[in-house]
Amino acid sequence: MTKIIEFSGICKDFKIPLKSKGFWGGVKSLFKRQHKIIHALKDVSFSIEEGDIVGYIGPNGAGKSTTIKIMSGILTPTSGDCKIDGFTPWKNRKKYVKNIGVVFGQRSQLWWDVPIKDSFLLLKDIYKIPTEEFNETLALLTKVLNLTDLLDCPLRQLSLGQKMKCELAGALLHKPKILFLDEPTIGLDAVTKLAVRDFIKYINRTWHTTIILTTHDMSDVDALTNKIILIGKGQILYNGSFAEIKHKYGTAKTITVEFAKEYPQVELEGYEVVSHNKNTAVFKTDNKEFNTRDFINHISEKYELVDFSVDMVSVDEILAKLYTEYDI
Amino acid sequence: MLYNKYFNMHVKSSMQYRLNTLLIAITQVVISLGELATVWIMFKQFKSVGYWGFYETLLMFGIITTVFSFAECFARGYDEFAKLIRTGTLDRMLIRPVNLHFQIFANNIEFSKLGRVVLGIVVSIIALMHLAISWTIYKVLVLISVYICGVVVITGIFMIGAGVSVFTVENLEFINIITNGGKELSFYPINVYNKWLARIFTFILPFACFNYLPISYLMGYGSLPQVIYAISPLVGSLFIIPCVLFFNWCIKKYQSTGT
Repeated sequence: MTKIIEFSGICKDFKIPLKSKGFWGGVKSLFKRQHKIIHALKDVSFSIEEGDIVGYIGPNGAGKSTTIKIMSGILTPTSGDCKIDGFTPWKNRKKYVKNIGVVFGQRSQLWWDVPIKDSFLLLKDIYKIPTEEFNETLALLTKVLNLTDLLDCPLRQLSLGQKMKCELAGALLHKPKILFLDEPTIGLDAVTKLAVRDFIKYINRTWHTTIILTTHDMSDVDALTNKIILIGKGQILYNGSFAEIKHKYGTAKTITVEFAKEYPQVELEGYEVVSHNKNTAVFKTDNKEFNTRDFINHISEKYELVDFSVDMVSVDEILAKLYTEYDI
Repeated sequence: MLYNKYFNMHVKSSMQYRLNTLLIAITQVVISLGELATVWIMFKQFKSVGYWGFYETLLMFGIITTVFSFAECFARGYDEFAKLIRTGTLDRMLIRPVNLHFQIFANNIEFSKLGRVVLGIVVSIIALMHLAISWTIYKVLVLISVYICGVVVITGIFMIGAGVSVFTVENLEFINIITNGGKELSFYPINVYNKWLARIFTFILPFACFNYLPISYLMGYGSLPQVIYAISPLVGSLFIIPCVLFFNWCIKKYQSTGT
């Protein structure tokens, strides 16, 4: 596998002018501005292989958008080097951006008042896509994203989910090698979310597109990829497989047991009773070697059971745990 | 051509709000007529300013109205650059494989400004018909260059404002002082103003290069060699070079806004 994105020692500082309070403060700041330096990215290094889907996660203000903006050539880093597909994004901007597609979840790249199709045709000219190739790609995207009825509507008449589908199509018309998605599922309903995820997987499979997505929805990551990069306070905290993280932090399980008779006071070593009512009790364990059968055998020796269920800790909880652990 | 495609998109967009565009255009023409009335009243009182009579001043009014509104229509992107930054439009432009200046021109076209352009041209024609100009081919060329220079200079000033708003992320009033102030100033011959103000608006912000100086050439006024008056629009147009350089420098410092 070849490395398509290489980030080495990227730092990005923002200079924020401090607002002085009161009238005289305002007058003073006219002549002498005080600045605060914010280190948005501190020595960020990672690499991404061609054809991968990578989840770029972290809390608000961690530096996700800044990284995406540097990767897409919008921002110039303060220091460090970045090679994407042989280019340094902020140099040779015009040549480089032909190979990338970017979707900002909360901002539109299509025209508000004209039919979607017209926006797409303009993109065709912007990217100088040959007519035949364009028609082929558009036909494919229309089919997979189910856009047939939307193409003649202006953007302003579409729902949030429909808009996102059109944005995705718009960002892919020129068949970019690399696709950056900044919170692509934000605000979408469950059905559309699934459709968008399926589409992302489909594109990755058929075009071998490298996809980097930022999201706050861990189920996105769970559904799409096993590779995550965790960023917090401008630093990379974890770069590796999602399964490993789940294994490491996701060991806690809750077991709900329904007894045939009234809940007896059960005490089991290694299990904590979280709550109980008339017939049921909820146990919790951190034991990595937890085994459902052993547990049931153990408990059914003494008591008569009606039903039970085992729940994993949700990925959101894992993330919350991670954030607390890294203090971000 | 790509610009045509963008242009057609703007036409389609504004067709959605035809009445709105038309009403804005009419309102602006009415405001301009008000300004024109002020000039007329002034001249009813004073008859002339030095050599300059009512129709010379009317020509200046016509020129500045035409070029200013033309720039507002087609260089709107620079004029409203802070908005492009705030809405993330600039970010979007930067991920397109097309020259940034081209995109700024193509992305914003404000058709409602064309009402004033038409008014400016009509006023210019009326003024020219009343002025006793002995036309030569050079004078025709100078007249044409006046309008081009005007648009170029105003666009340059918009670019400076755009560059500054990269740092402030809001439109600054001081740019309005230069643009609108310069526009109002240009209604009257520059020799009525304080010497320093006249110099600033000749050598630093070359408004005089597309009205007072070339009109002096058309009329045969002034004490300097005529060729200086004749080439002043060409020289004034060079103003755009530092403006582009400044803007490009500012863009390099661009910090983008949060999502």
